[in-house]
Amino acid sequence: MGLISAILMGMVVGIALMVGWRHMMRYRSSQRISKAVDIKLLASLSRDDLKKICGNSCPEWISFPEYEQVKWLNKQLAKLWPFVAEATTVIIRESVEPLLEEYRPPGITSLKFSKLSLGNVAPKIEGVRVQSQKEGQIIMDIDFHWGSNASIILAVEAAVVASLPIQLKDLQIFAIVRVIFQLAEELPCISAVVVALLAEPKPRIDYTLKAVGGSLTAIPGISDMIDETVDAIVTDTLQWPHRIVVPIGGIPVDLSELELKPQGKVVVTVVKANNLKNMEMIGKSDPYVVLYVRPLFKVKTKIINNNLNPVWNQTFELIVEDEETQSLILEVFDADVGQNKRLGITKLPLIELEPDTPKEVDLRLLPSLDMQKIKDKKDRGTITVKVLYHEFNKEEQLAALEEEKRILEERKKLKEAGVIGSTMEAVGSGVGMVGSGIEAGVGLVRSGLGAVGSGLSKAGKFLGKTITGQSSSSKKSGSSIPVTPAQENGGAN
Amino acid sequence: MGFFSTIFGFVGFGMGIAIGLVIGYFLFIYFQPTDVKDPVIRPLVEQDSETLQRLLPEIPLWVKNPDYDRVDWLNKFIGIMWPYLDKAICKTVKNIAKPIIAEQIPKYKIESVEFEALTLGSLPPTFQGMKVYVTDEKELIMEPSLKLAANPNVTVAVKAFGLKATVQVVDLQIFASPRITLKPLVPSFPCFAKILVSLMEKPHVDFGLKLVGADLMSIPGLYRFVQELIKDQVANMYLWPKTLEVPILDPAKAMKRPVGILHVKVLRAMKLKKKDLLGASDPYVKMKLTEDKLPSKKTTVKHKNLNPEWNEEFNMVVKDPQSQSLELHIYDWEQVGKHDKMGMNVIPMKDLTPDEPKVLTLDLLKNMDLNDVQNEKSRGQIVVEVTYKPFKEEDIPKDFEDSNTVQKAPEGTPDGGGVLVIVVHEAQDVEGKHHTNPYARILFRGEERKTKHLKKNRDPRWEEEFTFTLEEPPTNDKLHVEVISTSSRMGLLHPKETLGYIDINLSDVVNNKRINEKYHLIDSRNGKIQIELQWRTS
Repeated sequence: MGLISAILMGMVVGIALMVGWRHMMRYRSSQRISKAVDIKLLASLSRDDLKKICGNSCPEWISFPEYEQVKWLNKQLAKLWPFVAEATTVIIRESVEPLLEEYRPPGITSLKFSKLSLGNVAPKIEGVRVQSQKEGQIIMDIDFHWGSNASIILAVEAAVVASLPIQLKDLQIFAIVRVIFQLAEELPCISAVVVALLAEPKPRIDYTLKAVGGSLTAIPGISDMIDETVDAIVTDTLQWPHRIVVPIGGIPVDLSELELKPQGKVVVTVVKANNLKNMEMIGKSDPYVVLYVRPLFKVKTKIINNNLNPVWNQTFELIVEDEETQSLILEVFDADVGQNKRLGITKLPLIELEPDTPKEVDLRLLPSLDMQKIKDKKDRGTITVKVLYHEFNKEEQLAALEEEKRILEERKKLKEAGVIGSTMEAVGSGVGMVGSGIEAGVGLVRSGLGAVGSGLSKAGKFLGKTITGQSSSSKKSGSSIPVTPAQENGGAN
Repeated sequence: MGFFSTIFGFVGFGMGIAIGLVIGYFLFIYFQPTDVKDPVIRPLVEQDSETLQRLLPEIPLWVKNPDYDRVDWLNKFIGIMWPYLDKAICKTVKNIAKPIIAEQIPKYKIESVEFEALTLGSLPPTFQGMKVYVTDEKELIMEPSLKLAANPNVTVAVKAFGLKATVQVVDLQIFASPRITLKPLVPSFPCFAKILVSLMEKPHVDFGLKLVGADLMSIPGLYRFVQELIKDQVANMYLWPKTLEVPILDPAKAMKRPVGILHVKVLRAMKLKKKDLLGASDPYVKMKLTEDKLPSKKTTVKHKNLNPEWNEEFNMVVKDPQSQSLELHIYDWEQVGKHDKMGMNVIPMKDLTPDEPKVLTLDLLKNMDLNDVQNEKSRGQIVVEVTYKPFKEEDIPKDFEDSNTVQKAPEGTPDGGGVLVIVVHEAQDVEGKHHTNPYARILFRGEERKTKHLKKNRDPRWEEEFTFTLEEPPTNDKLHVEVISTSSRMGLLHPKETLGYIDINLSDVVNNKRINEKYHLIDSRNGKIQIELQWRTS
């Protein structure tokens, strides 16, 4: 009897021990989990969260800007900058000098950096924002400011003239850089990086070009033309939705998703314009319209002579890559001997259009798209267009892609054949762009007034930009963004 | 009878406990689910005040301290990336562990060891603030406050003698504040040569270890013991000032230090081509090492000679014998105009055996392009003798010249004396009224030294080193440093301007061996100058 009761008691004690142990396990486990949850909660706080925690004693040094500040990174960057600058200088010299040699126009015997200094002002990151809109993608927006005192002098040796050094200084870059990381399930977990500049707010790239001892400013319009060229390169290769895709880590991935593809087309009928400004001394303006979505593919209407209320009624098709951010730009010019004057410009954001519904709109012409620059509020007339946006299906998309490739190939051939000039359906002084994926670079051919002379070559890596000029108004320029040679799709796609 | 019943009682009680433990174990532990659930996280706004009270000790450092920066964007980034990282890391771990397990198993008569589950869980590590320290040394210091409170599930199943046992790690938590130092900074990417990591405090470690379902860590007393053990072990290894060093760049390469000397003797050239219209060419040889910024060296010009004999010797400093090579160019000298190229060739340094003179006869080429047809044309030959003399091992500092350790004075310095080294690093905010083209001038015991001139620069960086060999310590001496700007034009109005000066007492240097500080300049509005002083004794 004693034995059985002892066994029973033992069992009770044993089970009780186990229950106790289990209780301990549960307790400790829940403790750890609740702590983990707390830490996870506190990993990203918003203003309201903090108010809830701290009540009224919320510390003053905390603010919640849209772009999170990274003071620590700037501190480190400032300290590291002299070393980064030196290392970058070496890389630019090594990689850009051969490129310059390649782009060297005939008549110039040597093209070298005689001074290349990135200055002692480090770039500043004003803020960082991280978001994820799509599964497997991280979007990081970096507010990048660089008011540099970089000084780059390019020595140009021509056969006839001795040496003409050209200096680039006061380079200033203010842009929001969007970096998209495509995630993968293998280390280093990032299969590709997409880099682009956000279009809104518009990236600002300012610089001063000086010909030391020469006269670059003496030639009228050359400075504007360089500006326009650089702007076109930036807009058409770097500015969102255009992007650079860099595969990394050697993980084979399908990059086609990341690359820019034709998304649809917009059919535009330029109907007429009213009350245009008269630009000519004798008679009236001879207006025509240049329209584009990307500066790379510009089309123009016929010229109607001597008319301030012209009727064109011409229809064009333009490819659209990103309906959300792209706009249709319409520019009205006055055809003239010499330089064509701009009568007005206007834009129509494509997001305002409904797919497959025709729409007729009247648009007011403005002197410039940059609202801050507009001084005179004078009426410049209106332009009437009929637009129809059509979204591509798969087959149409492929066909459009092929077509685009074909056009670019053709242009490249023309360029190689030595036809430097207006190689496209653009205006005489329009911007023609030639992209080349093989050379890991984007060449940009832009014809001026068709004058004879040696060209102008441009190559840029990172942010190092060099421009050489010669006394002529015709120029050729190429920009290159050397990326991993495997995939390069700047403006070429 | 009483005796027996007591015995029975004890035996029965013992058996009872054993049976009870087994029943209890199976009932309450073994059959409990062992999988790890994702915790439910409710947004902070919905929490009640009780939970908020519990949160208080965990408030991130950036909220509490103004010197910590918020890095929530980084947390967000890691958070989005975490599921991918988790999979990638686990895959890698499995791949690494497999061969090791396969190798070890036969020794212990174990049938198999397998990962039944391996995941790091859904909770990513978080940074609760980032602090950086700015010093005058060439280093970057940052101190993130890292909290890893994960919910991993690592289950290892061991099979032996037909039985299966599982070991499971759950709820791993590691809180640490590592100090990460990047130094020294070097002018080649990624711009630092070493990463030093050390822990500023003993880390907090907590986890659950389940052996066949039962959590050993919840046995009272054991957890504390294990935690202390781990803390001590880690502390022994990495608690500051002990550090974990990760070299990133090869020191000699990163600093581009000279590693040897190349002796070149240009002997002669044969059968050179005629370049001048009248008479023979006037050849001379120009040579340099690739990737060298120094100007090339030249031989004398041998007038009107197509088979010139020079027999001239040159010495060149070699920084990287693997990648550098010697370039030889023959030019035709001209009184007027450009000197014509007569041919060239290249000797790669890696083809040379150290300390062994080698006489080379090279064909002259137009360029180094192998496919260029013009290279098939004969341009004559050049004969040179080259010897590569690497510095002896002890001559090269093995490590970086760690800026914190003061080197020994070279031999030959008098007893009691030493070498005073003055490094003028940089100045900030120096501004002249009329021009700012600063250079620094050092006055010490009547001796004057100057740095380079930097044009139009308010924040000049000189990084120049000056040495003075002294008979006795400069205990009572002063060092006078001034920043002077000279006009870049030949202006007579304001040829020179002093942007500020400073007098430094040298007695501190003798005691401290090394001082690296920023001094405020006198007679300057905001100007500062960073000067490093070293007193090297033998």
